[in-house]
Amino acid sequence: MAAAEASQGRRARAGRLLLIVVALLFLGLFLALPLLVVFVQALAKGVSTYIVAISDPVAWSAIKLTLLVAAIAVPCNLVFGVAAAWAIAKFEFRGKSTLITLIDLPFAVSPVIAGLVFILLFGARGWFGPYLRLHHIHVIFAVPGIVLATIFVTFPFIARELIPVMQAQGKDDEETALSLGATGWQTFWRVTLPNIRWGLMYGVLLCNARAMGEFGAVSVVSGHVRGLTNTMPLHVEILYNEYNYAAAFAVASLLALLALLTLAGKSILEWRQPELRHAARHARDRTRREKT
Amino acid sequence: MSIALRGIGKQFGEFAAVKNIDLDVPTGALIALLGPSGCGKTTLLRIIAGLESPDEGHVLFDGRDATLWPIRDRNVGFVFQHYALFRHMSVFENVAFGLKVKPRRERPTAAEIRKKVHSLLELVQLDWAGERYPAQLSGGQRQRVALARALAVDPDVLLLDEPFGALDSQVRHELRRWLRRLHDELHFTSIFVTHDQQEAIEVADTIVVLNQGRIEQCGVPSEVYDLPTSAFVHRFLGQVNELPVILRDGRAFVGPIDISTAATLGTGAVNNIALIRPHEIEIGPEAAGWPATVIAVRVIGPIVRLELCAAGQPVNEPLEAEISRERYEGERFNVGQKVGLRFRRWQVYPTGGAAA
Repeated sequence: MAAAEASQGRRARAGRLLLIVVALLFLGLFLALPLLVVFVQALAKGVSTYIVAISDPVAWSAIKLTLLVAAIAVPCNLVFGVAAAWAIAKFEFRGKSTLITLIDLPFAVSPVIAGLVFILLFGARGWFGPYLRLHHIHVIFAVPGIVLATIFVTFPFIARELIPVMQAQGKDDEETALSLGATGWQTFWRVTLPNIRWGLMYGVLLCNARAMGEFGAVSVVSGHVRGLTNTMPLHVEILYNEYNYAAAFAVASLLALLALLTLAGKSILEWRQPELRHAARHARDRTRREKT
Repeated sequence: MSIALRGIGKQFGEFAAVKNIDLDVPTGALIALLGPSGCGKTTLLRIIAGLESPDEGHVLFDGRDATLWPIRDRNVGFVFQHYALFRHMSVFENVAFGLKVKPRRERPTAAEIRKKVHSLLELVQLDWAGERYPAQLSGGQRQRVALARALAVDPDVLLLDEPFGALDSQVRHELRRWLRRLHDELHFTSIFVTHDQQEAIEVADTIVVLNQGRIEQCGVPSEVYDLPTSAFVHRFLGQVNELPVILRDGRAFVGPIDISTAATLGTGAVNNIALIRPHEIEIGPEAAGWPATVIAVRVIGPIVRLELCAAGQPVNEPLEAEISRERYEGERFNVGQKVGLRFRRWQVYPTGGAAA
């Protein structure tokens, strides 16, 4: 009896160990190793080559464009994400499920198609093409097109992050604030925003990471004009196709570094905020209470 | 402030939450809206607060039509079951919130706010907790903070939605008494929602019993308890035994007991039921009533509850009777003992309808 129990315990421990090993191996093979390769390749021809590659004016313009696009796309999706999450979580209205589905659309559609849609709309032979040409507005193969495509692709990140947070919190806090005489604006800034701030920041980080890294949709609408409409991912591809591996990986390593910084920012946020863990517990308590 | 509801109705999709409600709440009253879940009591409270707008009817505040007033103009304090404290603010900031969001002209100075918040925290016996955060307080303490916060803006009306529903019974009892005292001291008009009949009876001046979106009965607690006008109210305000009434030779019987009165005979209806509360059953020697067997005995503090199987009744539907602990100590009813039952009071209703 006791022996059987002991062997069962051993088997459970062995199973747990096996699972952990499999997960770690998988992570190492598919995530850590490629990331390592990027940095190794970038520095393969020495630090001086690396510095030359990333201080090249064309590379610089790609870096600046990437940062500019993110700086426009992220605030746009921030405003939209908060508005959409608010509407979905706090109100009942016709077409709500359609809105939720639409928010997910960019996740479902291939980025290439997203790019093509904008060509069809704003390209020379697109719906608005003649009008734009008449007024000398350049969208496709120009910065506005890149911004539009990036906004489209990063559309869901913030809203998706906020909807469950806001739904878990319900309307009680806002209704209380209103009953105490606060205006809608005061309620938003003093009650709603502090309640969602961590979810919001997380959404912004994810949105930003994707905005900087987007390739497919941006590639379709950019036109690859060096020094003008090349973002960092596009620049990496061009360098790579020119067999300039060291430079390609140097710029790629910068992109990877930005991504790592984003993730580190997220971890620091979580680590510094015991309130986050607290909020999670609070939400769990609430759902448990509602079930009983 | 007095509140009057005139013909209030509200639909949620196909579901009619409240139907044609008329209610008058005089200034300074403490009223309980009592009913099972889904009866429309919370909807009614939210309509009074301005958190829902009625599809039909009018809400009058001191005789003025307030139906379309936004919540922030109604000067009502609203307290939620789950407190709804702002968790990123300290207790002090929570209570001060309503004062700090006032437009600049009406806003008290920082010193005045501090003084007022401290006096409110004293009132709710939490003056030591000003710097704490809601997460550091117990449920009862949180609800007292929520009350202090609602009182900070000097509301004319205090609306409480199942205020003690999430608390354990000891704390609940304490807070009920405390709310009653607070109400008597401060003289605002209060309306609270509850599904707990005991809470309604203990706290309120007037009980409004709601069922399926309509007012079933409205009156002072003793009246609603002792003279229910429908079987629903009778059942909802306490334990009842339900027994079919049999008409025989022009007289009405429950089991062998003759319950004929002008009221029970007057209707002439065939399918009547008699409702009898556990303490209205008299237990005596076997020969002196409806023969019954004791099948369970449970001592509950000062009372003792007996389950009894009366002759001719199905075994799986025993009657419940309550006697005092003192009497039980003296007479010692045991399981299996034969006794005789009589009824001190009863009330007869047609099945599924109003009082007979």
